[in-house]
Amino acid sequence: MMWRKHKAWMVPLGALSLLFLYGMMGEMAWGDNSKCLSCHQDEKLSKKDARGNKVSLFVSEGEFKKAVHGKLSCTDCHARILDESHARKGVKEADRKVDCGICHEESEKIYKTCVHRLKAEITCQACHGHHYVTRLADPKSPTYRTNLVQTCGACHPQESKQFAESVHGVGLFRGRPNHPTCTTCHGTHSIKPRSDPESAVHERKIAMTTCPQCHAAEQITKEYRFTTKPVKSYYDSFHGLSYRGGDTFSANCASCHGVHDIRAASDPKSMIHKDNLQKTCGVCHPKASVNFSKGKIHTLADIRGVDFGEKVVGWVRIVYIILIVAVIGGLSFFNFMDWLRKTIDRRPKE
Amino acid sequence: MAKKYLRMTLNERIQHLNLAINFTILVITGFALKYPEAFWASPITDVPLGMTFRGFLHRLSGVATITLGGYHLLYLAFTERGRRIVIDMIPMWKDAKDLWETLKNNLFLNRPAKVIKMGRFNFREKLEYLGLIWGTIVMTVTGFILWFKEEWLLFFPMWTFEVARAIHFYEAILATLTIIVWHFYSVVWNPDVYPMSWAWINGHLTEHEMELEHGSELERIKAEEKRTPVHFNEGSGPGGGRTYPIHQERREKFSVKGLYGLVRHLNESIKNWRGM
Repeated sequence: MMWRKHKAWMVPLGALSLLFLYGMMGEMAWGDNSKCLSCHQDEKLSKKDARGNKVSLFVSEGEFKKAVHGKLSCTDCHARILDESHARKGVKEADRKVDCGICHEESEKIYKTCVHRLKAEITCQACHGHHYVTRLADPKSPTYRTNLVQTCGACHPQESKQFAESVHGVGLFRGRPNHPTCTTCHGTHSIKPRSDPESAVHERKIAMTTCPQCHAAEQITKEYRFTTKPVKSYYDSFHGLSYRGGDTFSANCASCHGVHDIRAASDPKSMIHKDNLQKTCGVCHPKASVNFSKGKIHTLADIRGVDFGEKVVGWVRIVYIILIVAVIGGLSFFNFMDWLRKTIDRRPKE
Repeated sequence: MAKKYLRMTLNERIQHLNLAINFTILVITGFALKYPEAFWASPITDVPLGMTFRGFLHRLSGVATITLGGYHLLYLAFTERGRRIVIDMIPMWKDAKDLWETLKNNLFLNRPAKVIKMGRFNFREKLEYLGLIWGTIVMTVTGFILWFKEEWLLFFPMWTFEVARAIHFYEAILATLTIIVWHFYSVVWNPDVYPMSWAWINGHLTEHEMELEHGSELERIKAEEKRTPVHFNEGSGPGGGRTYPIHQERREKFSVKGLYGLVRHLNESIKNWRGM
């Protein structure tokens, strides 16, 4: 058969089908939104929701084109628009939800375990916005570092207010890079309740990873001229040692410094201000005296230390180490010689 | 049967066992706090409330040790044997000389090796006993400061607490290492007594062991025995009950004595082994 032997006819056919596919893709990717926008460009277009509130249905073409998804067609996200006004054949369907997970699979997978999804059924749009989703680095994005406080504050007003006044929040709003925002401690798509051991703000994680991610990081501590001493000395204090061993009654960072309202020690409202320290310690140590608030807490033994206590403990350490080396070394030497002699004496005689 | 010499009465053996158990608990529960990520601490740290129980146990054992110390003081003061212990435990110039001569013997500086005859408590035992008393006092004081920090800080500044914490830790290292290096050598790894000195279980030493470690005491007992008839009472022999004759006892199927004899027999065979 001819068409089986000479296959040249396949070339134009293949090219044609490829072109057809490409055309289809083009249609999909740069879809023509003019049909939708012909109605939705109207700023007055609105509807009433179940409660009777007016909901604007206006979509600005210019803004949408500038947004991250500006090149998508309306139907890429609004895959099934079959409600009253758009209904075909008068059939009404309720499914008008936009499923971001079609493209953003990873985020969707993580977000499925998030407390916002599980407890409150909060959708992506609540944080990321609707039609004008912008990049994370865009200062106008609701998920931009400084805007997050407001975005989260829509539902968590108290926490946001406390945070905005805290030492972290003040630095953040001054535009300093590396200053923490809500997601630095709580995570992004994987936010979990405090009681969940997987949560970044679980009591077992706070002093192990959450605070030390910045306060034990050399680069950040150098840049902002604070020290890693608090973390190091905490790990070596009774509180920290017991905490590392799994004790949940032992104080962690947040027990003394607060959570959202962490303030500098010089701030009179701070939990660790001199005047408040007795009260802060008193939560666990009811008989806490004035001496609890005098002297430093985060000290490391060092003979060249700033604090008097640091110096004394540093000297105690040196004296004891010398003592231990001398005594144990001497005893070991004495006993080793004793053992050697007795072993030599026990050699079988030839 | 070879003659045996009383080393520890039942009361003293129970005191020793008590201290051994409490000391071990204190060491484990104490260092589990300092090294919570260590593998041996996992039985404490992996269990829920493990660290809380650890703290409780540490304090309990501490109190038990202090109580034992108090009992020991009463024992030393109000028994004849106890008072004798105090007198025999006083460090003398001879002890320093004994230590020095032992070292010279071991380094082959004395040729031939001098025979050193030591008293009821030789320099090893005196050093350890006095060290134990010192350690107990230090650990008790600093331990109570750490326990009752609120009361302590009513009168003293914060840095004294940190100093107490440091001393408690380093003294613990010193005490633990001393027990391992000094005590365990004297009673376990010392080739004269290996695999173990049985005095802490059966309470007595053999004549051979007495010769090696307490030569002058052995001579003194023998001189005393020549003068006085043998007593069969454990607690009140001549010179405060230091000797008692062991009479032939019927052999039981299993007894500590039997096991002791077996191990001694094995030990002797190993010592006298001349090769294949």
